[in-house]
Amino acid sequence: MSPDTPIDERFAELAAQLRLETPAMPERARREVLATTAAAAPRHTGWFSPRRLAVLAVPAAVGLSLALALVVGLNSALSGPRSDNRAASAKPTASTEQLEWVAPSEDARDSNRLRSTGPAPTGGRAQDYSATLRLLVDGTDDLSATTQRALRTARRLGGYVVSVEYLTPEPGEGSAAIRLRVPVSRVQAAIVQFSGLGRILAQETRISDLQQPVDDLTRQIRRIQERIARLRVQLGRPNISSSERARLEKHLASARNNLAGLRRERTEINRRAVYATVALDLTTQEPRQPEATPGRLRRALDDAVGILAAELAIAAYALIVASPFLLLLAAGFFGNRAYRRHADQRLLERA
Amino acid sequence: MRTATTSLEAAAERHLDDVYRYVLYLTRDPHAAEDLTAETFERAARLWHRFDPARGSAQTWLCQIARTVALDHLRSEERRRRREGRYAVLDSRRSESVDLESPTLSPWLQSALASLSAADREVIALRILLDLDAANAARVLGISPTACTTRLSRALQKLEEKVRPHLVA
Repeated sequence: MSPDTPIDERFAELAAQLRLETPAMPERARREVLATTAAAAPRHTGWFSPRRLAVLAVPAAVGLSLALALVVGLNSALSGPRSDNRAASAKPTASTEQLEWVAPSEDARDSNRLRSTGPAPTGGRAQDYSATLRLLVDGTDDLSATTQRALRTARRLGGYVVSVEYLTPEPGEGSAAIRLRVPVSRVQAAIVQFSGLGRILAQETRISDLQQPVDDLTRQIRRIQERIARLRVQLGRPNISSSERARLEKHLASARNNLAGLRRERTEINRRAVYATVALDLTTQEPRQPEATPGRLRRALDDAVGILAAELAIAAYALIVASPFLLLLAAGFFGNRAYRRHADQRLLERA
Repeated sequence: MRTATTSLEAAAERHLDDVYRYVLYLTRDPHAAEDLTAETFERAARLWHRFDPARGSAQTWLCQIARTVALDHLRSEERRRRREGRYAVLDSRRSESVDLESPTLSPWLQSALASLSAADREVIALRILLDLDAANAARVLGISPTACTTRLSRALQKLEEKVRPHLVA
């Protein structure tokens, strides 16, 4: 007999007999009970109930977690790049004096041997001009040939080689660090030719103005020269005492020393301004592509997933900590219920 | 069997006799059944705001309360009998004599029902007299519908063996 099957037909007659003899509540007791029930509080008919509340609590908690993760993710995405990107963006691009950093674009890389000159030195002014070129060459054979070509180019343009570091640590791999001095007047041509030696990976040009210190030194030299001239005139007078002559000669010697020092200093600055420093870094290794900065949507998703993972971790932690107690509670609850049912059943069997 | 009962008064009007019959079959004492039925509805009046028709009919809900009330009564009766020892035997005999006085049942049927346990009588009451289906009866009894059906079949088998001569006649 399945649970939904009506009463077994074998007992149909017995069941009919039992239904015939159905006791009814006496009328007096019936009225008393109905009077009691008339005063009962109305049943709560709204949809809200503790059971429904419990059923809604779980999706509400999940929804809240998702919303929190979404809000944090969007907030992070809209607040700009992350700290590492911020650090990268904080890198100075054009700072003091004249500093230019040129990172070649993809187009520039593709158009192989695209000539790059950078900013030109200002004619008529003393400037400290330095340029750095990082070039990619094809293998160690090309590295060697390119190094030789760079040296020849520097010499042909009237420059000279300061240093060369040539390294081939492994077959097929190598690098060369070349430091050259090239006349400033021809540095543009030099850079054009150097940039044609390989694929430009990076280029940096620094220009520091030296004209101001040169002008200051020139003014100082002029003043000292005038002072020397005055001292000479004083020494040329016939009626000066020997002590006065000695004092003037001492001042004259000091002024001459100062003049010599200032001239040396000015010459040194002018010499620096005559030649530009060019650093050529040749390498056979492709630069590692920097990781693409994730977009806002990606960052929002990453942060949201991170928050969700953190929430899950907290939930898992809480569950692990609470699970022994929950198991004990559940075991106590179900054990007590089973015991009570068993006891009730025995009581009914005895009654 | 679900009804859109909105007030306990209406539920009482509809199911008062069902509860009384169920308790009477459990206790076999008409006076106790009256008291326990009244107590059942008093308790139902206190708990009526928690009744949820979506989880079962008012009839089932009332029977669940009635069962709890009746079990409390049977437990207290058993404790009392234990305490009073010798007197309990006399009281038990008197209790048996009370249900024989029930005006609504044939003496042979009363006798046959008295030979069954309360567990057997209650499943008969729920399934035959109150006409609950197996699922709702099982919910009242706190067992599975299959176990309920099995228990009913066994109880009817026992009862039929007792009343067969009268049914044949």
